[in-house]
Amino acid sequence: MRSLWIIFRRELAQYFTSPIAYLVAFAVLVLGGFVFNNDLAARNGGRAPTDGSVILTYFAYFTLFFAPLLTMRLMAEEHREGTIELLMTLPVRDGDIVLGKFLGAWGYFSIILALTLVYQILLIWLSPPDLGKVISAYFGVWLYGGASIAVGLLFSALTENQIVAAFLSTASLVLLWLADLVGKLIDNRPFAELVRTFSFQSHYLYSFAVGLVRLNDLVFFVGAITIMLFVTTRLVESRRWR
Amino acid sequence: MIEVEHLTKRYGAFTAVSDISFKGEPGEILGFLGPNGAGKTTTMRILTGYMPPTEGTARIAGYDVFHQSIDVRRHVGYLPETVPLYPDMTVGGYVRYIADLRGVKEAASRVDDVLKTVGMYERRHSLIRNISKGMRQRVGLAQAIVHDPEVLILDEPTIGLDPLQTLEVRDLVRGLGKNHTILFSTHILSEAEQVCDRVIIIDRGHIVAMDAPQVLRERLQQGGRLFVRVGGVTPEAARKGLAAVTGVASAEPYNDGYVVTVSGLIDVRARIASSVVGAGWQLLELRPLAMSLEDIFLELTTRPGSDGSVKQIQPKKKDKVRA
Repeated sequence: MRSLWIIFRRELAQYFTSPIAYLVAFAVLVLGGFVFNNDLAARNGGRAPTDGSVILTYFAYFTLFFAPLLTMRLMAEEHREGTIELLMTLPVRDGDIVLGKFLGAWGYFSIILALTLVYQILLIWLSPPDLGKVISAYFGVWLYGGASIAVGLLFSALTENQIVAAFLSTASLVLLWLADLVGKLIDNRPFAELVRTFSFQSHYLYSFAVGLVRLNDLVFFVGAITIMLFVTTRLVESRRWR
Repeated sequence: MIEVEHLTKRYGAFTAVSDISFKGEPGEILGFLGPNGAGKTTTMRILTGYMPPTEGTARIAGYDVFHQSIDVRRHVGYLPETVPLYPDMTVGGYVRYIADLRGVKEAASRVDDVLKTVGMYERRHSLIRNISKGMRQRVGLAQAIVHDPEVLILDEPTIGLDPLQTLEVRDLVRGLGKNHTILFSTHILSEAEQVCDRVIIIDRGHIVAMDAPQVLRERLQQGGRLFVRVGGVTPEAARKGLAAVTGVASAEPYNDGYVVTVSGLIDVRARIASSVVGAGWQLLELRPLAMSLEDIFLELTTRPGSDGSVKQIQPKKKDKVRA
């Protein structure tokens, strides 16, 4: 637990010394501001009821592209710099390394997500939205972000090249997000159903985003995180045997 | 402190380390010597718990490197060949991070002490990306000793340093050797000669020699080669006369004298002297041709068909064939 905390702290602190992390936060906020203004204008100057979850749905789209930028260096850089050899000869379990890095990245993701609260404050000041729905949407995006970061971490452990890690993560995340559409292309019904259940979109858009917190969506995201972290840990361990 | 028994590591069909055994006593500096690709790094990686051996066992401070990996890692300080540094951290922050992960008590003061030991205290606020290679090496060393480990494993700690920095690192290692067991790899022979209590020469995964550097040199000189200069005789007769002495394998002209190669581990100086004088010639010079560790190394590692089972040094390839 102690080493997990130390690794988490360093990984989180790492983002605050990295220009990429600031640029990501900046880009997400600019895009968020644009989307927010656009949405407000579309609501006819306040005559239609405001909806705090719209900005979060867009945030979920942005996540597809920026989460990999946060995760690409996590393991790839350790391999490139050779620091993995040090980490793996410290009295620290491989699982603690992976979990610490995951929590650090998820922590930074949560900070960026928290920055969007400014829009909710504006909404409350203008015309209070349905707060239950907003809270459920935040919870959903937060979980979905965790799953996205776990996917990114896995690809970061697969390759020494950060660009490759980022690209493969984005491709996988887009595919996972749209897995329900992928399922529609498949003729074999049971297989199509199976593919559809992996859709990140359908576990967020039709539940958390409309104010529904369902156990199966919760289990889906927590399960996805657990499986990704487990596979990543195995990947890191497998380096010892090569 | 370090006990290695019949250690073997294979990568697929390639055998990197083959059945090596050695021991390191407390407070001993062991030099691990060999050409590139001899298996030094692989052995060190096994000893630090980075990778498991294919066969054999190794124990550090009494713990098995495979079954008690975490305990082993607690008692070992390791400086890999590529110094493992995070360029975006400060010198002090990095050493502190490793100290924390190692659970060092009173980490702040210990980190300061270690940075003073390696002479990096003044640069503790510098980013690692901005410091020189020699400094990085010292920061790497600081990381390896921060928890005051019983066993220190250093993989080529002086590689890529300028001569002054090399001297500094050697001094540092010698100083640490007083109360740590150190396994120190290098392919610079003079370095092993200066720093180490015992040298292990490894080639293509096999240990070819293991002893104190002085002993290694003496053993070879005992047999080895002598330089002889004689007067009052024609060169050809002198050469034949010297070659005829019992125990001499050959005599070749060399500068203004002859190099006499001795067969076996025997001292033939007295016999040469008496036979030269007995023949009525003048003995002008008779001395052993000093062999540096360099010569020993070349002789041991370039021998064709080296089977690695040799632990006693055989001075000459020819002798081995004759024996």
